[in-house]
Amino acid sequence: MNILELKQVSKSFGAKKVLNKLNLTVPTGSIFGFVGENGAGKTTTMKIILGLEEKSNGEIFIKGKPVHFGDNQTNHLTGYLPDVPEFYNYMSSQEYLKFCGEITGLSKAQLRQKIPEILSLVGLTNDKKKIKGYSRGMKQRLGIAQALLNDPELLICDEPTSALDPSGRNDFLKMLATLKGRTTILFSTHILSDVERICDYVGILDQGELVVSGRLNELKEHYAKDQIEIEFSGEAELIHFTKELQNLMDQKIINNYSFDSQKNRFVLTYTQEYEVVAQGLFQLFERNQLYPRSIKKIDPSLESIFLEVIQ
Amino acid sequence: MRNLYYFTKKELFESWRTSRLLILLIIFLIFGLMNPLMAKMTPEIIKMTLNEALAKTIPEPTSLDSWTQFYKNLTQIGLIVLALMFSGTVSNEVSKGTLINLVTKGLRRWSIIVGKIISLILQWSFCLLVCFLVTWGYTAYYFPDNKSPYLFQAVFPLWLFGLLLMSIILFSSTIARNNYEGLLLTGGVTVLLVMLNIFDKVKHYNPISLVSQNLNFLQNASAFKEYAPAMILSTILFLITLLLSILIFNRKKL
Repeated sequence: MNILELKQVSKSFGAKKVLNKLNLTVPTGSIFGFVGENGAGKTTTMKIILGLEEKSNGEIFIKGKPVHFGDNQTNHLTGYLPDVPEFYNYMSSQEYLKFCGEITGLSKAQLRQKIPEILSLVGLTNDKKKIKGYSRGMKQRLGIAQALLNDPELLICDEPTSALDPSGRNDFLKMLATLKGRTTILFSTHILSDVERICDYVGILDQGELVVSGRLNELKEHYAKDQIEIEFSGEAELIHFTKELQNLMDQKIINNYSFDSQKNRFVLTYTQEYEVVAQGLFQLFERNQLYPRSIKKIDPSLESIFLEVIQ
Repeated sequence: MRNLYYFTKKELFESWRTSRLLILLIIFLIFGLMNPLMAKMTPEIIKMTLNEALAKTIPEPTSLDSWTQFYKNLTQIGLIVLALMFSGTVSNEVSKGTLINLVTKGLRRWSIIVGKIISLILQWSFCLLVCFLVTWGYTAYYFPDNKSPYLFQAVFPLWLFGLLLMSIILFSSTIARNNYEGLLLTGGVTVLLVMLNIFDKVKHYNPISLVSQNLNFLQNASAFKEYAPAMILSTILFLITLLLSILIFNRKKL
């Protein structure tokens, strides 16, 4: 069951095509990482989903209900955290959440119960301090509090961690991970490590098209290559090892290799079992008296998938 | 409708918390106090600055002088202050992005525009009422004459023009990118209305007559009826600009 479906959605700004027949499905209950470089069209996609921006073509459904620009019939199903959430600085967080709750249709009794609860969930104190005095991290927390206030079935977060410091980012991701099971999260970012940390589904957007989409572990299995990284310190060892590499390829221990001359680093790609490849390499080192500075098995990562698919 | 109430409440709360309403109240209160006082003091000031013989030629001030000050101050400074204060009412919120959270929470776009116009009308009416009551009280105290018989007929057109001005401010702010653009547009429309008054034929239809003929309304009961077309046209223009603001805002990118 998918909570969100985008079918053939296109968007142009003048002659510039930002989204090109985008198809996207977000399964209910997932944390979906929506990945793309800056300017790939992530924010535009999210704004179209929320009915804040007009699409040129295509259809969008949230829980089967169509989304139309300027009409917020589906907004009661969603919560939105913009990249830089803006509030009324003359209000306190309590007053702001009360106002948002009133708009959402929550009763006074519900608000009395929910506001302290949600402020505590996001780690903000329930005091009368004005939002004007809040740090960036505190505003982000208040942003998520307002987004969660109406218990949305779909929470849309637009690059929520990009402007936070490492500690704030860590706290925010921890908090977002705790929401799993409570709501479906569509989380856009260009920070791949954030996606790897909390998302179970990933979609990669490149030049307005979804180039890949699916479960993160399945994508890793499908796209990732088995690789070993070897670094040498000496020039003589480098030359010697380069000569021996052809033998490894002939013996089909490795498939191919690349070399980074600035870092004196080889990256070997293989399809055999890791143990077989490692054994062949260590025998080669022993036989030729080669002592690499480092040997590292490269685990499949989202970064490698990302770099491969956007090439 | 419930959301319209909450948004209007937020607008009024904003005016109070940001001291905008307090500033307006103080300005209009000062006007209210100054109008009769200036009328009373003017002959004394002339007496002190010019010679007494010349001062004797100046007629004794009346309630009409006090109300002249009232309409002069309100139309020349009061309305400009309001335009300056409210010119960014929509554009500031759009450029800052403060409406995004509310619209994505289900707040209908029309409630934003209608809520804003209600708040503007309430603030304008409140300021005008304060200024009017203070001027009225002091004028009755200083000048107990019968030279200004039609107070309501004179102030009602000013209030109505204020309503039209509020809707023009709102409309300008809806299509503008910032408050300077909004202010420029509002100023442009007002100048256009002033220029139209050059043609004598349109005088009775031109909304600007509602703020230029007040002393006439104050003294002649028949003048009020003569300018009824201007009042009807102002009401129609008010509704049109409000409707246009809603339609434009519905298509506006937030």
